[in-house]
Amino acid sequence: MIKSYRISVLILSRCLLFINICLLVILLLFLSFLPALANLRYTVCFYNPETNINNFALIKSEFDRYLSDYGYFQFQPFSDRDTFEKFIVGRKDGVYLISSWHFRKLKREYPMEMEAKLVGVSKGRPTHIKILTVRKSITNVNLLKGKIIAAAGSKEYTKGVLLEMLGEDQKSIVDSLRILIVPKDIDALMAVGFGMADSALTTESSLTKLAEINLKQYRILRQLAASKETLLPIIAAPKKLDENISSLLRVFENMGKTPVGQNKLRMLGMDGWKKLGNAERRFLEE
Amino acid sequence: MTIIPCKKIINRLKKCFSFDHGKHCSVVVWLLIMILLSLFNSEYLFARDSVIVLNSDMSIENYSLAHTEFKSMMVDLKDEIDLGSKWVNEKSIKKRIKKIDPDVIYCIGSKAYQMAYKFAKKKNLVFSLAINWRRLPMGKNTYGISNELHQGMQLMMHRYLFPDVNKIGVLYSKIYSEEWLNIAIENAKEVGIDIIGRHISESDDIESALDELLPEVDALWLTPDPIVISNVESVVKIFEQCEAVRKPVFAYNRTFANFGATLIMSADISTMGRQAAGIALDILANKKVIERVQNPAGSHIVLNLKKVDEYGINLNIEALESVNEIIR
Repeated sequence: MIKSYRISVLILSRCLLFINICLLVILLLFLSFLPALANLRYTVCFYNPETNINNFALIKSEFDRYLSDYGYFQFQPFSDRDTFEKFIVGRKDGVYLISSWHFRKLKREYPMEMEAKLVGVSKGRPTHIKILTVRKSITNVNLLKGKIIAAAGSKEYTKGVLLEMLGEDQKSIVDSLRILIVPKDIDALMAVGFGMADSALTTESSLTKLAEINLKQYRILRQLAASKETLLPIIAAPKKLDENISSLLRVFENMGKTPVGQNKLRMLGMDGWKKLGNAERRFLEE
Repeated sequence: MTIIPCKKIINRLKKCFSFDHGKHCSVVVWLLIMILLSLFNSEYLFARDSVIVLNSDMSIENYSLAHTEFKSMMVDLKDEIDLGSKWVNEKSIKKRIKKIDPDVIYCIGSKAYQMAYKFAKKKNLVFSLAINWRRLPMGKNTYGISNELHQGMQLMMHRYLFPDVNKIGVLYSKIYSEEWLNIAIENAKEVGIDIIGRHISESDDIESALDELLPEVDALWLTPDPIVISNVESVVKIFEQCEAVRKPVFAYNRTFANFGATLIMSADISTMGRQAAGIALDILANKKVIERVQNPAGSHIVLNLKKVDEYGINLNIEALESVNEIIR
């Protein structure tokens, strides 16, 4: 009786030992995979003060869906500039889809570990021009004083571009303008045409679109000033790339080569990406 | 540098206030009085720059959004009253308005506007998100942002998104929408679209009117005509008939997404809040507000890609950047 009791205790203790060893192995395996699990989802952070993106949910869901076909990638748009800047400054990891204007500004103001890798392309060009369009009755810059300007960019961006366009000596006029932020460029142009604003700051391509859709509306507008050519949004990443970021960059680079990818990029006003050339690098370093 | 002794200065001052120089002195005194008065006046003006917000119901998302945007553009709001709160009643609202004596009251929603009009119709009232604003009592100090996008804007977006849609049908009632339709026909010509209207006198006419209209057009444009959109049954009937002949419906409110609208174009609420703030700022700055009731300047677009594919409509891919929401 005692013997059989001892045997059963021994078996039980052996079983417990086996279970414990198994649990320990599982734990060790889990710990060894933990860093990989932490990196499972690579996030592309997006912020663009040049357009008033108010379709975050749509952009996020469309880009998440696209990127998830190629790996554990996700897309995160930011609506607030301060939050985005706090997030990006000083970081040594991550991938960022960002306006070239904002990237240059950040580079000037903060020590940045990131560098531009790709630049957006629209109709074969990596640059765009901003146009200040006004009603025909506004024949010169002085007549703009105190008027309403419709724009899809942030207030800071709009003022910055206007100052660059008109010159610092017109600062008082730029400061007197009331900026009406609208969801998109075409809204800004229509706001001038239909009397809700006196002027609009938009891309040249939006103005071309307006001419294609409604020539009469286009003809009642006057182009008062134009900006220098600036780069379309860029993709920035750490100087030293790991395998995941490299593959993510390849996904973006090839996005414009498929109709599905092009459709997603159209939501951001582009149709492809290209690697940065020397001229583009020089522009960003200016 | 020469140092003038104190005695010399005192002597000069005495001379200044003597009879001979009295006239010069009085000019200086008058100038000082004028400067002080103008300072007092501007101080007084600043004190008068008061704005309050009267919100029909803060728990409604759109009302809350307009409120937030308006607030973000105003330096100092004297009060914000939520009519949806159970803690406020007419008496307390009247008391609060009277106490602040505001220069501008921003009214969000019809209920807020009607209350502001009742208690402070002589004040500058700026409304937005008011349903059927044309039916509201309008004082000479009433300003606002209408709910409806300019029809020219809507037609331009129809053309931009669907370049092959050339004939658009509209059901309308002569009482409410005849004038609107005539303007739409003119606006549509600018973008190369033909508007074909069929009038109805009551909701029972919808079926026969659509039977005649749908074969002639590429799409149906639903407008907020109270005879056409009189009840849910009418709406269901319209969508079922369009679905049967595979004709897309362009609508004006997100609600129609549930019925199967292909395109919904409405006003962007945040922009409306910003426009209302612009009017309020113009009033405070004594600037003339040229357009008392403005159209919204921003659009919100919902596109049903499922329907686009189902009906085989040619969609301009470039226009996708203007779309806020896609239904798949």
